[in-house]
Amino acid sequence: MLAELGLLALALTFAAALYAVVASVLGMLRNLPRWTVSGRNAALLTTPLLLLSLIALLTALLGQEYQISYVHSVSDPQTPTFYRITALWGSQDGSLLFWSFTMSLFTAGAIALNWRTQPRLMPYTIAVMMATLAFFVGLSLFLENPFTRYWVQENTLTGERTAIESALIPPASDTTLILAPSEAVLARTANGLNPLLRHFGMIIHPPMLYLGFVGFIVPFAFAMAALASGNLSLDWIKVTRQWTLGAWLFLSLGLLLGGRWAYDVLGWGGYWGWDPVENAAFLPWLMGTALLHSVMVQERRGMLKVWNMFLVIATFTSVIFGTFATRSGLIESVHSFARSAIGLPMFLFWSSMTLISLTLLFWRWSRGELKDERQNVHPLSRETLFMLNNAVFLTLFVFIFWGSFGAPIVSELFIGTEISLGIKYFNQVTAPLFAIMYLLMGVAPLTAWGSTTARKLGGLLLIPLGLTAATGVILWVTGVRSIGGLFGYLLVAFAGFVVLDETVRGVRARMRATRENPLVAMWNLFGRGRRRYGGYLVHVGIVVIGIGVIGSTLYQQETQRTMQIGETLDFGGYALTFNGIDSGQIAVDGRILDIARLSLARNGNVIDELRPRRDLFLQADGSAMPMTIAAAHSTLENDFYVLLVSWQEISPNQATFKVYINPLINLVWLGGLVLIIGTVIATTPAPAPQRQTASIPTTAGVAHA
Amino acid sequence: MSSITAWEKDQVAPSARPKAKFNARWLYLAGGLLLFSAAAFLMISGTVSGARYFITVDELLADNSYVGGGTVRITGVVIGSTIHYDTSNANNPVITFTIANLPDGYADLGTALHEAANNPDATTLPIRVENEAMPDLLQHEAQAIVTGRLDENGVFQADELLLKCPSRFQEDGAEPSLADEV
Repeated sequence: MLAELGLLALALTFAAALYAVVASVLGMLRNLPRWTVSGRNAALLTTPLLLLSLIALLTALLGQEYQISYVHSVSDPQTPTFYRITALWGSQDGSLLFWSFTMSLFTAGAIALNWRTQPRLMPYTIAVMMATLAFFVGLSLFLENPFTRYWVQENTLTGERTAIESALIPPASDTTLILAPSEAVLARTANGLNPLLRHFGMIIHPPMLYLGFVGFIVPFAFAMAALASGNLSLDWIKVTRQWTLGAWLFLSLGLLLGGRWAYDVLGWGGYWGWDPVENAAFLPWLMGTALLHSVMVQERRGMLKVWNMFLVIATFTSVIFGTFATRSGLIESVHSFARSAIGLPMFLFWSSMTLISLTLLFWRWSRGELKDERQNVHPLSRETLFMLNNAVFLTLFVFIFWGSFGAPIVSELFIGTEISLGIKYFNQVTAPLFAIMYLLMGVAPLTAWGSTTARKLGGLLLIPLGLTAATGVILWVTGVRSIGGLFGYLLVAFAGFVVLDETVRGVRARMRATRENPLVAMWNLFGRGRRRYGGYLVHVGIVVIGIGVIGSTLYQQETQRTMQIGETLDFGGYALTFNGIDSGQIAVDGRILDIARLSLARNGNVIDELRPRRDLFLQADGSAMPMTIAAAHSTLENDFYVLLVSWQEISPNQATFKVYINPLINLVWLGGLVLIIGTVIATTPAPAPQRQTASIPTTAGVAHA
Repeated sequence: MSSITAWEKDQVAPSARPKAKFNARWLYLAGGLLLFSAAAFLMISGTVSGARYFITVDELLADNSYVGGGTVRITGVVIGSTIHYDTSNANNPVITFTIANLPDGYADLGTALHEAANNPDATTLPIRVENEAMPDLLQHEAQAIVTGRLDENGVFQADELLLKCPSRFQEDGAEPSLADEV
């Protein structure tokens, strides 16, 4: 019943999406408003339909309907309710459905907010979004159906039975009987969720990442609508700014949570391994970041019109490429889905989508409709620095794309042997670019649109450079001597000091003008200039993350030791004592835990008890899958991260541990938090247009600001 | 077409300066070229120094030039009975195991792994990993992707070990055992 319901809703969504494409385009081309309205309504219908489909699958998961093969493959009778819910996106079929649902949510949101204000763009926008949705729903419907069920086909003559998988009830004939498999066998053979996915981060990491990925469809669709309709004014940029920021926010969150998951679950002491799947999610982020900066150049100076269109296309096309690469089995990765049938259709969709959008862009450009309003750029101006910023992000994109996909695919095609590039390549090529990025991040906020004089810029740089130099002295005195480390820290710190100094000067100027106290002045400054100060806060977040990355990458310490009970390991100024092992503990969900007890001391005082463990997940087929869960003592200074590597049951008084000290690693997560707050501030619309003369606000007024 | 607003006009300095325009164009061109070649150099040198051939066990053993040679990446299937974790040296535990050749061009990875692991004629290669934690996924019939070098004794000294057990969690098609009872 649930399977039929979900399947029917899915099929109806597919039809509605296709209808919406046809009706919207027809309505625009023939100027038939009733058709465009009808297309809009069909598009709006996809959201509740997909929700219904999703609820059907969720109900099946919660109700343990193991005849549905998806439920059978991601849960078993021992699975806790919590993970039954997250199993919704735990494997390919379910996550594709979830992906489609988020896409329809974004469509509904765009219609709700922009239907009235953008009558010329909306029908095309809907057509683009619905065409994409139809493709993904089609994948679910025809290739990766989450509602297929297991059936037993019995040959009535021989009595022979075979198990098959089919979405619809297979046809019976005179000689074949169709039966449902026994519930007991289904429950007994159910797979259970992959232990690697049993982590709190898995509740929010995939949804956030999908919201980020899918969210970029809105700017893409509006840009395509602008190209198709010929309304090439600033409309599409103004409409999509918030959508782009929103998608960027979710993608950033998804990347951060993914890093956190890797750090907690994969047990290698790191959070970013330049794995192709990680890179696939990072590539749209790079393009999106470039886009967020370069649209400002078009808004303020009427330039880079073609480039901005290109960036929108590049952002979304890399989302689709990343989805294709990770879901098709194109690349070997710890995160990737298994090889599947959707590879070819996804590749065709990606390439045709890219080709069509670039052709559209070329067509408008060749007709001279995307001419920049200015030709000359002053070398010392904000637009120049923004263009350099774009060059940096584009180069990072090219390098990372080449390392993860380009080199392996090209070498496989031309020399018959795949060449892969590891962490060494990525660190080597990206480090100089990140350095330039921080430098530009420092200088750009101090420059003006149009032109700046070197003298003026020099004056503004004085304080931040002074603070940077002072930091350098402090670092040197405290013992940071490596050139790479010093250079990295100072470059990042410089970018931070610029933002700090800019904010302080803004606050002081406001205090002089309005006689507000510093806090009130800062509150109002942020409130009135959300875009600017939200952006600054994002810069602060990136600075904090940068410090964390440098610290945890360059100064990570690791060791490994087999210890007897009572033995102490002295490492990095800490003393780690092995107190014993609680083995064979059985958890509610049936896994077996071996927990090591260790105490961590510093300067003779015990500061924490650490309990790294090994979980043994017993599988339906009788085998066991172990999972190593790290324990860490976390402070702003560092993480003392311990893994229980192995221990022998025959001699339980001895165990092997791997220990990492990751300096400043928590700044990565903290910086992420700052970045998110900054993005939220930048995204929320300002309450009212800025007034020229600010009236002196009363305390009551502040509360409302 | 959007035009410059009055507000912007006030802000913008008159830009008709032909002399600066000529110089600036060359400046941009030269600067751009310089940046481009720097980037190209970085990418090429990174690729050359970081490249690792991704080959099968058969390919590795068929070519003598790999012995004592550069870093390569190989793939094979883990033979469960050969896995040994030696912690006798407390500061440098050693993992050793043997992998069997996993032929190219399989249709289903799970089946290919199972067949390769149980093929008595398959080429095998001993792997040695030093100072690593025992990986959770190192078990019979797991796919191993190992980066390292082949030493003179025919042992593959690994720097990096990546493991995959695809058969267990992503299955396509119904299990035959489901037909046992209805």
